[in-house]
Amino acid sequence: MITPDVLTEYVRKVMPDAAVTVMDRTGTMNHLKVVVVSAAFAGKNLLDRHRLVYQALDVPMKDGRIHALEITAQTTEEA
Amino acid sequence: MADPIQEEINKEVAAHKILIYGKGTKQMPMCGFTRETIQFFDKYGYPFELIDVLSQPAKREALAKMTNWPTLPKVFIDGQFYGDTDILDPMAAKGEIEPLLKKAFGK
Repeated sequence: MITPDVLTEYVRKVMPDAAVTVMDRTGTMNHLKVVVVSAAFAGKNLLDRHRLVYQALDVPMKDGRIHALEITAQTTEEA
Repeated sequence: MADPIQEEINKEVAAHKILIYGKGTKQMPMCGFTRETIQFFDKYGYPFELIDVLSQPAKREALAKMTNWPTLPKVFIDGQFYGDTDILDPMAAKGEIEPLLKKAFGK
């Protein structure tokens, strides 16, 4: 499991401007839905946006703190 | 230089117009996201293949490298990588999936 604050910290290491919303899908805080809003996504297709989020969360995904992740990645204009 | 795992993947991707690498089988998906992906393609009525890589760490690693995408399931349509339902759902909402599949199946 991971707290929303810790997860947000990881995302902001890669995207300092990111607004991050974390939703717990299973009540165990390891199956998460994460909405990230950042200017870093501008001009990137969905695949590359998600790659950026996966890259930011690589450590907690590899060590198992995050087991499953559903991502929404939007720019400020789209949000 | 032929890596046998990569060759196997290339063959599978070429052999199936819609291919899902996931966990479990169509009858018994072992992961919620794999199940959602099966349900996603069930709606369209085109044949699709699910290859279970749950117990194949080397193949999962090769797939992750090839696609630069860490998680399962991984969806290929007509040889191209489309991520998972996080990508496919918004595409479907924009009406992009039906024409893509029609084209893939030559209809």
